[in-house]
Amino acid sequence: MNDRIKALYQSHILVNAKDTSHQGKLEDATHVLEAYNPMCGDQYTVSLKIVDDVIEKATFDGFGCAISKASTAVLTKQIEGKTLVEIKPFIELFHELVNELSDQSPESLTSDEDLLAFAAAREFPERKVCATLSWEELLLSLRGSMMK
Amino acid sequence: MFNPETIKQQFPIFKQKTPLGQDLVYLDNAATCQKPLAVIDRITDFYAKEYGTVGRSSYWPATETTKNYNEVRGKVQRLLNAAHEDEIVFTSGTTDAINKVANSFLRPRLNAGDVVIISEMEHHANLIPWQQICTEKGALLKVIPILDSGELDYEALESLLTNKVKLLAVTGVSNALGIKNDLLRIIKAAKGFEVPVFIDAAQSVAHSEIDVVALHCDFLVFSGHKIYGPTGVGVLFGKRERLREMAPLSYGGGIVKEVTIEAASFQQSPNKHEAGTPNIAGVIGLGAAVDFINEIGYAEISAHTKAITGYALEQLKAMEGIQVIGDVDDRAPVISFVMEGVHAHDLSTFLNEKGICIRAGHHCAQPLMHRLNLMATARISFAIYNTKADIDALIIALKETQAFLS
Repeated sequence: MNDRIKALYQSHILVNAKDTSHQGKLEDATHVLEAYNPMCGDQYTVSLKIVDDVIEKATFDGFGCAISKASTAVLTKQIEGKTLVEIKPFIELFHELVNELSDQSPESLTSDEDLLAFAAAREFPERKVCATLSWEELLLSLRGSMMK
Repeated sequence: MFNPETIKQQFPIFKQKTPLGQDLVYLDNAATCQKPLAVIDRITDFYAKEYGTVGRSSYWPATETTKNYNEVRGKVQRLLNAAHEDEIVFTSGTTDAINKVANSFLRPRLNAGDVVIISEMEHHANLIPWQQICTEKGALLKVIPILDSGELDYEALESLLTNKVKLLAVTGVSNALGIKNDLLRIIKAAKGFEVPVFIDAAQSVAHSEIDVVALHCDFLVFSGHKIYGPTGVGVLFGKRERLREMAPLSYGGGIVKEVTIEAASFQQSPNKHEAGTPNIAGVIGLGAAVDFINEIGYAEISAHTKAITGYALEQLKAMEGIQVIGDVDDRAPVISFVMEGVHAHDLSTFLNEKGICIRAGHHCAQPLMHRLNLMATARISFAIYNTKADIDALIIALKETQAFLS
């Protein structure tokens, strides 16, 4: 097992992929997003409870690879408590973190280890879509009806 | 004596290392095959030494090109044991051929309430073209279901056949599972109701001898790139009377007798079905691929890929936590499996680090995956150049991945 693959799947990603703390559907969800990658079949339902423009609760349910599952788990954990205004730059930061063309070092973007683990995706551009699947869907929703 | 190592040496890609410095273990042959030097050289020589257009010009090199292009038609005719050379039409691939038959053969013959039969294991390419025309015409698309073993439910097929059925389209081999279909049985049943039969042979031609006369199918299609030839070229076999009664597959130059502003009359097939300048280099390269197959011979090819498939199955089944999908005695050189606790895409990324190429996902067969209640599988598929050493490398890497990920 070489170092770069270990880096990609390092313990943070494997641990988060198996973390069930934010799995499931919210009974009182105000918004439900469907993140789906038709190329590979990965599919997550992200449930959000948004009150007064603050995400009070976020959970997910679905199926996919370790990277997409871990990134969805991290997303749901980290957006709880954030306002809708705060979320957009947060998602943009994540995109920058996994962007192999970025001129910013991952460490200059964040010190959060759960997030930093995904910077290894810079070495695997074909897996970037796995890392960003649910984040991208949330960003699209923010640009759409959610912000109105 | 057949030796896959000497065969492998004929494929230049295996002479170089992967970007991470390993030997390339290529196990995605159901998607596309690597190319032997004979095919690459033939295409290079064509462009470098004899390039011209086909069918239109009376000067060298166009005359040479036309002769070589049409010789390939004869080679493909003999490969499929078609009765006539004019039953072979060149397309850009399997998908193109299916769309063209859907448009030119099925669409004008299909009315509201008619039926088209496909199977539950079809690649999207042999599903969506038929599905779209059925929707447009108000016709019904009926499906031969599969059994839990992965095999087609042949008894169910018999109950679907009526005189309302205007076409039966089925694959020879499941691209996702490697299940082989009993085409003789299917076609015999369909002929009982005079139903035209369309065979997707994309996964068949590289490994097994095809005889369209014995099969008695109306259409059979395959792609060049899956039989060691170039991309962008494929073959439509159609029975002479079918191709003659069909309108041109597409319209343009090279297919006409007389044209006025108001109307056009057309040549006979195959010319009538090859509008525009065709993929000449692709066809020439396809000819070299057919020669390559013939030089080895289907007996050796089938025996070797069957032996490799058997060896791989044995090794996989001996592993803990591996489930091979589809329970059949005789399969094409395609194996789908799932590793407990490890998603196929993660597995594919890990194997890539070892220089091992496998396919992960739904294999363009979503209805089949839904039927089997699977979201994704790992698929390995073999060609003439694969060796037992390739399988051994795979098994070692699978065990390492399993230890790390699950």
